[in-house]
Amino acid sequence: MTTETFDTEVKLLPGDLAIWFFIFMELLVFGIFFIAYAVMRVQNIEMFNHYQLTLNRELGAANTLLLITSSYFVVRAVHAIKLNKVKQCIYWLYAALGGGLGFLVLKSIEYADKFSEGISLSTNTFYMFYLSLTMFHFLHVILGMVILFAVAIKAQRGAYSAHDHIGVETGASYWHMVDLVWIVLFPLVYIMR
Amino acid sequence: MKIPYNIHTIWLLMVVLTLSTYALGKLGYGGIVVVFFLLLTAVLKGGLIIRDFMELKEVSLLWRVIMYGWLWTVCIAIAITYMISI
Repeated sequence: MTTETFDTEVKLLPGDLAIWFFIFMELLVFGIFFIAYAVMRVQNIEMFNHYQLTLNRELGAANTLLLITSSYFVVRAVHAIKLNKVKQCIYWLYAALGGGLGFLVLKSIEYADKFSEGISLSTNTFYMFYLSLTMFHFLHVILGMVILFAVAIKAQRGAYSAHDHIGVETGASYWHMVDLVWIVLFPLVYIMR
Repeated sequence: MKIPYNIHTIWLLMVVLTLSTYALGKLGYGGIVVVFFLLLTAVLKGGLIIRDFMELKEVSLLWRVIMYGWLWTVCIAIAITYMISI
């Protein structure tokens, strides 16, 4: 599958088609998870509203900014490789990885704080959703970083150019999905009441 | 003054929307109007990611329906549960 088309034609999905089926499945799972959270909240409104206030909104917002910015860096990497600027592409990919690493660090601080208070999946329904949803997303951030790192290594070995950059677009698409999911997760779990 | 529409301004817009979401939480605002605002903010940010970051604005209608459909379906379902509970 190539990404080369004329502007007047309908474009093909960027990157490898297989990653898109993976992305659709991931979105379906997260979507069901989000709706399950919202439905369970209806049955436990006071509990959800009370324990939501114990979450660290500052770290949640900072993590949102990190993921948005990291996604922006990945866009810059894709634009760079389309112009055959391989070095710039590599720099932007590592910058995006830095954003991902920052997300993991802040999330780990948040988890350490909760675990030190003895909070676990079995504490109550709210924390069950909070921990399972955010940890599921946390694992996707790690997977996204592994993919981006592999793309960066391949880029360093000269595997990509302006004419052949499907791998960069594939990694970028997955990383944007990780960002997209968090865009819904953050207001739903941390803010909405 | 015309504000340019490019990935830099899109990133800036998403930062501002994120800060507004955080501010609403910090100020302790709740209720259905705030929930609608937060969900519309999420739809706008998600739409920008799909359209401009994922670069799906010119792909076939099927793929766009799947992606935007996911975003709208999830947010509308969440909105309904909050309408029931508020």
